Order: sequence, then C-alpha cells, then structure tokens
Amino acid sequence: MSRTKDYLYPLFKLTGNNIRRHPVINLISISIITIAMLLLALYFLGYSNAARIVSVWRSDLQIAVYLVDGIDAERMSALKNYCRELDEVIRFDYVSKEQALENFKVTLGEDSSFLSGLPENPLPASLELFLDSEVADVDDVERLARQLQRQVGVDEVAYGSRWLRQLFSLLKAVKYFGFLFAAFLSAVTVFIVASTIRLSLYARSETIRVLHLVGATRSFIALPYLFEGVFQGVVASSLALGFAFAGFKHFKIWLQTQAPQWSIAPQLKFFTTLPLLLFLLLGTILGIAGFLLSSRWIQRG
Amino acid sequence: MTGPLYGLFSQSWRRMISVSNLNKSYSHPDMVLKDVSFKVKKGEFVYLSGPSGAGKTTLFRLLFADLKPDSGQIEVDGLDLMRAQPSRIARLRRRMGIVFQDYKLIPNYTVFDNVALALEIAGTPRRLIQKTVWQVLKVVGVERQLDRLPPQLSGGEQQRVAIARALVNDPQLILADEPTGNLDYEIANEIMNIFNYINSQGATVVMVTHNRALLQRFKRKVFYLDQGILQAYVWPD
Repeated sequence: MSRTKDYLYPLFKLTGNNIRRHPVINLISISIITIAMLLLALYFLGYSNAARIVSVWRSDLQIAVYLVDGIDAERMSALKNYCRELDEVIRFDYVSKEQALENFKVTLGEDSSFLSGLPENPLPASLELFLDSEVADVDDVERLARQLQRQVGVDEVAYGSRWLRQLFSLLKAVKYFGFLFAAFLSAVTVFIVASTIRLSLYARSETIRVLHLVGATRSFIALPYLFEGVFQGVVASSLALGFAFAGFKHFKIWLQTQAPQWSIAPQLKFFTTLPLLLFLLLGTILGIAGFLLSSRWIQRG
Repeated sequence: MTGPLYGLFSQSWRRMISVSNLNKSYSHPDMVLKDVSFKVKKGEFVYLSGPSGAGKTTLFRLLFADLKPDSGQIEVDGLDLMRAQPSRIARLRRRMGIVFQDYKLIPNYTVFDNVALALEIAGTPRRLIQKTVWQVLKVVGVERQLDRLPPQLSGGEQQRVAIARALVNDPQLILADEPTGNLDYEIANEIMNIFNYINSQGATVVMVTHNRALLQRFKRKVFYLDQGILQAYVWPD
C-alpha cells in the first residue's frame, strides 16, 4: 500500500504541475469539451424525455366513431357487437348526443353560453373506443379506423394517431441522427483532449527530456498525461451535467408557465443516477481516448 | 575460459565501463568517433579530454544510451547498452548520476523539486525524500536555496543543484560533461572538490573537460580524444 502511494504520489504531483503550469491550455480545453459534452447531455435529455412522453401517448390509443343522426336500435346494437369483437378494443363507451353537448359545454366553460341559443343539438352521438396498447400500435389504429368507416351507421371516424405516427417517425430519425451527432461530438472531444496533451507536450519537451535522462520510464512520463486527460474529461462532463441540470430546471418552469394545459412539464425528468454515472464514465473514456491518441507523441518524447 | 569462475579470472566484476571498437557518425560522412576502445574500473576518476569538436560529448552521451553507436560495444555496470531494453536503460540511469554542461534543471521546479524528482523516479519512500534532499543540498552548499527556482540562481549554484540531483540516489557512477565549463576559478575548484569527495566515497567518476589547467591542478587518468580517435592515455606533468 505504502509502495503504491510512493509510486502514485509523484505521478499525481506531475499531473498537478502540468495542469497548474498550463492553466490557459487546460481552461480552453475544458471549456470546449464542456460545450461538446453539454450538447451531448442536452441531446440525450431531450431524446429520452421525448421518447418517454410519446410512449405514454402511444399507449393512450383512442378512436371516436361518430354515428349518423337517427341511427336505429338494431343498427346500433350490431355496431356495438362489432366493436366488442375487435381484439384491439379493451372497452368502448357510448356517448349520446345530449352527453356530447354536456361534455362540450364543460370544455368551453364560461364561453359555452352561445350553445343555449342553438335551435337544435348539432353534435352527433358517438362510440369512444379505447385500444389495448399491448396489442395495437399506431398502424393498427389507422386500419381499424378504415374498417369502422365502412360500417353502416357510421358517419365519421376520428383518431389522433396520425400526427402521433409522424412524431414517432420524427423521433426515430432523431434517434439515428443523434447517434451520428453523439459520435461526432465524441470524436471532437477526443481530438480536443489529444490536441491539449500535444500542446502540453510541446511546452514541456525539455522537462520530458530531463525526465528521460534521470531515468524515468515511459509509463512514469506518460501516466500524468493520462491523468490529465481523465481530469479534463471528468471536470468537463461534470460541468456539462451541471449546466444541463440548470437549463433543464429553467425550461421545465418556463414550459409549466407557458403551456400548463399540455401537462408535459410534470412528465419531464432529468437523468437518474445510472445515466449520470454513465455520462461521467463517458467523459472519462473520452479523456483516456484523447490520451491514447496523443501517446505516440509522448513515446517520441 | 568459460564456466562459473570466468568472472573471477576475467576481473570483469571490477569494471564499470567497457567500450570497444566504437564508431559513430552523424548525417555527414566524417566519423565523429573512430574505433574507440577504453575501460574504466570501479572507483576510478578519469577525464575524457580533447579539443572542441573532438567527439567528447558524443562519447559522453553514448555512455548513458542517449545516442546509439553505428557499431561497437558499450557495457556500463554490467549492462550491454547495444541490446538493453528501454526499461533496463531507464533503470541504469537511475543508478548513475549525470551532470550536464547546461545543467538540465527544470526551470519551473524549485531546487527541492528538481533534486527530489530523481528520488521520486527511483521510487524512494516519500518520508525519506525531504531529509535526503536536504542532506545532499548541504553537501554541495545550496541548502539555503531550497525554495528558489533555477533561473533565480547563479551559474555556480545551478551547477551545484545539478550535481546534487546526480548524487541524491547515491550512484556508483557519475558522468559529468564540462561541469566547470561556465564557472570561475574559485567555484570550479569547489565543484572539483565535491567530485573528489564523491570519488573518495567509492563512486566512479568520468568527467568530460577540455580545460587543461584543471587537468594539471587535479591530476587523474586522462583519455584524450582528437578528431574522433582516442589517441593515448596521458598523465599530465
């Protein structure tokens, strides 16, 4: 234990010296890596939240089947039986014309007074179908809607899943684009760490030569640069997470104030412990990768 | 003769440096060193002398594998430098003390840190470093400059710090390239006294110098290089 300490102490001391004696290089490097890591954090945060919200919306699949005015009881009964036999349908509710008007009044609130002046109720009766998200997906909703549209007694079928499908497709595209984006930012980060280490090597070439001459091994010379790379990666990813958290908090409050009716803000979540640790690990790995990229310059000493 | 007793009869255990048929050239066709051979026994103090451009510094650098020869053999403290792995060479350098004409101190390290570095590289326990560094700085007479940076010191003081760094690991071999080259008469004498003291404690010393006055004042065996050829052993009058 004591021998390990005696071995590591000068390495940490050299790392500290490297960082302290080249503050500008390190500051620039950490700043640029922080920006790259912040973009990565925002991307992961945005994607994970959007994916979760869309997934909640996708599980809330509904179809509204509007019925023709004056539909007879026999036709209504046949239509209900048809809906009952559909595998994708968990349950359905019948909403009469009167109930539809009441619901509409509740939605309009204070602005509903004009409805009292109407000569007759313009709203149709409907069947509201709730689909099983385990069985049905967005494509099934469209297929079912087409089938229902063909039934006698059905005036119109409405479903909200068309835009949801578009949103889902968009999210898929964002996911694949995001991988490229993340790979690009990671490469940029590795390149920055490597360049910083190389700049530091040029600045310290005479010191490295002295170290070689007084008997330092290659690992003794190289390890402080590995620690420097890890230091930059960890500090930058921690700062990026800090900025991302602050930004996330502000965005959530802004969204809650600006669009409370969407109920999106309460569903937004920051990284949990595991993604947080993985993100810090990513910073560390990028720091090590930067060191490895520059290690051949260290070998040249 | 072969077998386990070979070492006793060959007396190779008494040899610190053995150089044979060494040739070295740089990019131009003229050889810097031509078929150089010599031996240095353990505990000896020898000079490597000659005019400027004779190849002294090249030979000096070959002795700690800072350069590779074109051909020939170099053995230092039992290690064949032609075949040794970099890690073995690093270990050998930790067992020797090297003093450079231009000191080679790290300018932004304090005197203490410059000297302690050699101990840290050798893996000396931290609790021993402080005391050892102070003791060696006292031997060379710069213990009061502990916290100063090399650029804040005079040439003589910097050379003493460089000598302290070379001595701090208690090496059995000291290589010194013109250690008095930039110093005045008085300080050069003091530096020579330090090397004589180290030698009297049992260390082998190889000192490169072109200063004939120094050779006269402190008489030792001299290897004289001229135009890349080790011409003769000279004992100054």
